[in-house]
Amino acid sequence: MKPMLSTDLNAPDTTVEKAKIEVKNLNFYYGQSKALKDINLSLPERSVTAFIGPSGCGKSTLLRVLNRIYELYPKQTAEGQVLLDGKNILDRSQDLNLLRTKIGMVFQKPTPFPMSIYENIAFGVRLYEKISKAEMDNRVESALKRAALWSEVKDKLNASGLSLSGGQQQRLCIARTVAVKPEVILLDEPASALDPLSTAKIEELIDELQADYTIVIVTHNMQQAARVSRQTAFMYLGELVEFDRTEKIFTSPREKRTQDYITGRFG
Amino acid sequence: MSTAQSLHQSRKRKNAVMMALCVIAAGIGLAWLALILGALLYKGLSGVNLAVFTEMTPPPGDAGGLLNAIYGSIVMTVIGIVVGTPIGVLAGTYMAEYGRFSRLTTVVRFINDILLSAPSIIIGLFVYELLVRPMGHFSAIAGAVALSILVIPVVVRTTEDMLNLVPNALREAGTAIGAPRWVVIRSVAYRAALSGIVTGILLAIARISGETAPLLFTALNNQFWSSNLNAPMASLPVTIFQFALSPYEEWQQLAWTGALIITLTVLGLSIIARSLTGRREDR
Repeated sequence: MKPMLSTDLNAPDTTVEKAKIEVKNLNFYYGQSKALKDINLSLPERSVTAFIGPSGCGKSTLLRVLNRIYELYPKQTAEGQVLLDGKNILDRSQDLNLLRTKIGMVFQKPTPFPMSIYENIAFGVRLYEKISKAEMDNRVESALKRAALWSEVKDKLNASGLSLSGGQQQRLCIARTVAVKPEVILLDEPASALDPLSTAKIEELIDELQADYTIVIVTHNMQQAARVSRQTAFMYLGELVEFDRTEKIFTSPREKRTQDYITGRFG
Repeated sequence: MSTAQSLHQSRKRKNAVMMALCVIAAGIGLAWLALILGALLYKGLSGVNLAVFTEMTPPPGDAGGLLNAIYGSIVMTVIGIVVGTPIGVLAGTYMAEYGRFSRLTTVVRFINDILLSAPSIIIGLFVYELLVRPMGHFSAIAGAVALSILVIPVVVRTTEDMLNLVPNALREAGTAIGAPRWVVIRSVAYRAALSGIVTGILLAIARISGETAPLLFTALNNQFWSSNLNAPMASLPVTIFQFALSPYEEWQQLAWTGALIITLTVLGLSIIARSLTGRREDR
């Protein structure tokens, strides 16, 4: 039987990969308080990276720097460099809307827009592309197929996105993100509000998506990190404690703090 | 009897007393409403006939209708809403979206709340000084302006409140897909808050369609048909005011009928507003 989620412990070492995103000397502030301290890490292309750590460790903050969504709020500032394909996205000249079409994001709580299932997906596509109705139909269909939602909604594309169940809504959000053809997908605890069955579907989906996208997932659930990711970053109190291949982090971490966290001694 | 039991008994007694007080208080409130509606229906309904909607306000002692007053009320209310709503919605949007964290918003909200509770007669006097005196005569335009000034604070308040109820997660989701801010506001936030914003506009219509004081100083009244916006214009509230105070029976009857028409219109709008809000909560 084919394993549903592949984190093959005996996979050949592929650490020498092209970095999609490189974070260099990143500091982040909420007003005066420092939330991220000198973060350095490199996220390989077409691979799943997990950020784990106890609440308030800065893992979501780090994720929110990667598409600069934190800029919706005042008094939040980032210093340092975040290179996407070698280009610093923290640069003032970076067009934020274009950045976000390249780096999509899915949130903890499903956030379908208050419109039909079809429109939920067409909305993002229409922002940057002018395509015919037939092309749009194809686009919507392939995005929904990609998110393993098509068979469940193909007969009610005009129903409100809000009429779906929580798990379906979350897959709709993933479909919506995939439809605009991003290069990177950020997932902020995408399954923490879902039941185990929906969670399994989302994890399966993440596994399939990594063939085409660079994926970063923030999760509270260590088993989930172990199941879906290739690299894991352990963060604690705004610092990046350890970043390595997932099996290494979970079997033989270098740092005592990592060891303590993954064995459940704190957090 | 054990202590627990006696405590339970005394709680039950207190509950019964408080419950009775609440029921009485609610009853008193409802009784007035029922009396007013009853009196309006009793006195007003008998005067409702085709002539009310087809004939002009009559001279004393004659039969007639309220057509010019109904027309004037509709015209001035529509202009007041058409002018006041966009200003109110845009201001509310600024406060809830662009200026959410700015000082200006706090100041505007404070001033808006004052405006919201300002006596409408003050608004009437203000427009009198602003428009009627320079123009040299009363006019429907001045009346409509006074009404629109009453509309603005209501719409600002409800628009801001309703947009603030839209979860930030939804705005973040719109932003995360690459939508510029104005698209997020137009296509996501407005859509999510739509029924609430519409409710606010309906409430504003309900509010101004019964206002008398601001019209007394601005549109005055008109015994005859007039569609000239630059001239005095009749309106239902002012006509009711004038006719109810008169010694003539026909006029008094028309005042009752007019009051019934306004009340039913406002009641209808409130019910529409309620059902719109209700539907939003159902989701």
